[in-house]
Amino acid sequence: MTWLKLVEGYMPMQMISELAICILFFSICNYLLKKAGIGVPKFWAGILVWCFVNMFYLKYRIYPPIPFSVRAIYGTVSACGIFMWVSGSQEEWLEFKRPIISVLDANNGFTKVLRTALLLLLPIGLGAFAYSSLLPSFDEPIELRTVHPAPPATTKVHGKTYVLQTAQQPYRIDTEGKYDPAYSNAHIVDQSMGRLMKDVNSSEDNPWDPNAKGYIKHVREGGEIFFQNCHFCHGDNLNGRGLWAFAFNPIPANFTDAGTIAQLQETFVFWRVAKGGIGLPGEGFPWASVMPPWEQHLTVDEIWKVIMFEYWHTGYYPRTWD
Amino acid sequence: MTMKSTHTAYSGTTRELMNRQQQTQNRRPSLMASLLAAGVLIAGMGLSSPVLAQEAEGFITEKLPAPFPAEKIEAGKRVYFTKCVWCHGVNGSGDGPGADRLWPRPRNFNAGTFKIRHTASGELPLIDVDLLQTVTHGLPGSAMPSWEGILNEDQRKDVLAFVTSELVQDRSWQDDEFEELHVLELEKLAKTAVPPSAESIKRGAELVVENKCIECHGVEGRGDGNAFNLKDDWGFSIQPADWHKCWNFRGSRQDAYNVKNIFRTFSTGINGTPMPSFADNTTVEDRWHIANYVNHLCERDSDVDIAGGEVTDEIAAKLLAAKPRGIDPMTDKPKVNFVIPSKFAEGELPTDEHDPRWYDERWKKEGRRLVAMGGQITHKPRNFVSRIDDIWVQSMYNETDVTMMFRWDDRTHSVQEGEVDWDPYEVNLKDYGIVEQEPGGSKFDDDGTHPNSIASKQTSYQVFNDGLAFQMPIKYQELPAPRKPRYFWGDEGFPVDIAKWTADGNLMAYQGQGWDQDLEDRDDFTEKLKLVKAEWKNGRWTVIISRPLKADYETDTYIELGKYIPINFFVWDGHNGDVGRKMVVSAFYYLVLEPPVPAEAKWYAGLAAVGLVIVEGWILTRRSNRRKELGHS
Repeated sequence: MTWLKLVEGYMPMQMISELAICILFFSICNYLLKKAGIGVPKFWAGILVWCFVNMFYLKYRIYPPIPFSVRAIYGTVSACGIFMWVSGSQEEWLEFKRPIISVLDANNGFTKVLRTALLLLLPIGLGAFAYSSLLPSFDEPIELRTVHPAPPATTKVHGKTYVLQTAQQPYRIDTEGKYDPAYSNAHIVDQSMGRLMKDVNSSEDNPWDPNAKGYIKHVREGGEIFFQNCHFCHGDNLNGRGLWAFAFNPIPANFTDAGTIAQLQETFVFWRVAKGGIGLPGEGFPWASVMPPWEQHLTVDEIWKVIMFEYWHTGYYPRTWD
Repeated sequence: MTMKSTHTAYSGTTRELMNRQQQTQNRRPSLMASLLAAGVLIAGMGLSSPVLAQEAEGFITEKLPAPFPAEKIEAGKRVYFTKCVWCHGVNGSGDGPGADRLWPRPRNFNAGTFKIRHTASGELPLIDVDLLQTVTHGLPGSAMPSWEGILNEDQRKDVLAFVTSELVQDRSWQDDEFEELHVLELEKLAKTAVPPSAESIKRGAELVVENKCIECHGVEGRGDGNAFNLKDDWGFSIQPADWHKCWNFRGSRQDAYNVKNIFRTFSTGINGTPMPSFADNTTVEDRWHIANYVNHLCERDSDVDIAGGEVTDEIAAKLLAAKPRGIDPMTDKPKVNFVIPSKFAEGELPTDEHDPRWYDERWKKEGRRLVAMGGQITHKPRNFVSRIDDIWVQSMYNETDVTMMFRWDDRTHSVQEGEVDWDPYEVNLKDYGIVEQEPGGSKFDDDGTHPNSIASKQTSYQVFNDGLAFQMPIKYQELPAPRKPRYFWGDEGFPVDIAKWTADGNLMAYQGQGWDQDLEDRDDFTEKLKLVKAEWKNGRWTVIISRPLKADYETDTYIELGKYIPINFFVWDGHNGDVGRKMVVSAFYYLVLEPPVPAEAKWYAGLAAVGLVIVEGWILTRRSNRRKELGHS
């Protein structure tokens, strides 16, 4: 059911508001049906709501899928909620119990058959469930990896030591050639849909303008490096969905996500790019990452340029120390 | 453009003529010159309008679209220079900075040749349908991603306005003198599509032979027919589609198992490639049969042996019954499970792929595992082309040994000819000339044939051995979870047990201690490894390797039941020039030897059921007592 999936980068707020809208919709339906004299019994309404939330919404609507154990917690919580709803008053509770009691009492032919069937099927079902859960099963183990581990104080790249606190992006300069984050931040792409460059006809905004120089020219050079080296995994749109993203685990970082480069200092990114997967501390699973230590492939200048391109293309500012 | 007047008819035959003419020129002076030649030829024949396309069944004539307003083109330019220019280049010639390391090479828009269309062979595509779908869904198997969710629909349409108005230079959608659009009525035809059935699949299997599809696509459709000699209009090497991987079909539109996509491609052909349109020589009904067959060849939950394309009723029924694999919406590839189960086998382990124990009931639920492979891009020499992008793995064990069956599609059977200067255990081959592709792109020359690009070099590599290796940690029992030896041949203090098979028939055990450390021979264990089978047939390798469970604890992986043993895989494609560190590699998977079902399971299940019966009795008794009470009061 791929058409059901949430759009990339869904937010918990979106999920909660969607669920709230659904519940509101149910309540309105319930109210209208009651008005029309064909109200749904509390018992069935409760089961319907529970099934909708747990068997449908959380299972199919959310992507990437939530693990079963987490859904089990949601299932329990929503069951408690529904229980509170159906037992709000003595009257409602009686109404909720009524179908259960009537099956237990088995006063007519139908409930007799139903009671016998339930009495037989429930133990059989429980036995089968117990048996299958005792079978040895081998799910993928859950291994929690630290995505942004603590950086070292210094990093040595191509023979030169960089202090992460004080190192500066050498290409983040204004028209006079001075380090100027405010100037470069003014010429990144728009943060709206598409993240497009501000003005294709301006040599200050368009890296491909023949008259582009300084900062924006370096952005183009960084982009060239990106599209010769990085896009295979990080993707043509820097969203971590490159040609081989499907083959690797951990999956490549999504730079368009507000949780990656947008919340990192540029020097942290410099350290990560230069040292790659193999240079991660243990909590980052250096053994599993295929991220190259780019110092083996690129010069220091090229690394700075490609980082600047990543910020330009995603429309994010690097985090600063203050 | 001076070329405009030479573009006349684009019927199937003239287009093929152009293709053929271009292919016979081994060193093409330029695309323009050959087009000119074709144009003169056509003019001489007195043809002026498409003939075949009009007659073909299922097509209708559509009007040419109106030109785009200038502001839409301008808006599209902004999209283009932010997103597209990096591969497609400033002039849209498919020569952006990324192009030289890409295969397939990015599209050169200038000639107006587009692959996936609803329009007749040789014609321009429908901008608002074909090109929009390409931008929206991407072209899987290439670097072109899906832009849906990144660019909104207006932005996608804007960029098409720019590309079709400014970058397509040799032809024009407004050129009513020479251009016509004959559009496949796919939605209408789909309503009367031949539903998939065993008969239809079997008929399709016959038709792909009659229509000579198998000459390029291979008798089992794995793309191995004429895999190495095909070129596109620009002289770049291309390869026929592998019908077993529908998720890699360029025209799959993020809907891999949809038969309509195959019907469309088969009806309209793929412009710029040797794939012709079959609209004029097959009936609509026959095309549905072929589409049904090709669609059902795409890998599903069971591995159906199609016996070299000799599809019997029994095979057709099996193909029909198989269920599509789940496609991961994040990647548009089949879902991957990182646990590779190994099942217990009574007696001797299987000796070939036909052993019924590979197909028995126990595999119904989980089946064989797909292991996704990506180019090795961590260390030099990096591999930017993954001609092999997945392998299938299945495993069984008995009291003494474990066996693994690997099957993967490889269009070319590669066995190294002659000697090489290095030893098999050597991994640093730079000094022997094994280097990675230069970045090229806008840094280099303007030669339109791009002789130094990876797309041009595809057929010129020295051929090495196809190969496969898997590594498992030595003494994994002592590794504090989740620590593993590095995926790339281990690391210092964390050695790995590597078994490497090469197509020359060697199966060797090595110890790896780092990506740049020469492998260490483990001769004792090499003798214990057994190459049960290694066969390349109809575009697919079947390699079965078995090894003892227990070996020297200190130097070999000592396999125990029920343990998660990290394992990852490496595959070399000899015709891609793969050797040493140039190969494709997988992420970490886990090999688990599934222990037999514990006897207590039945008892506990029975106990639970009996317990519930007692609870039921208690509830019923209570209820009946309560009813009596109520009745009395």
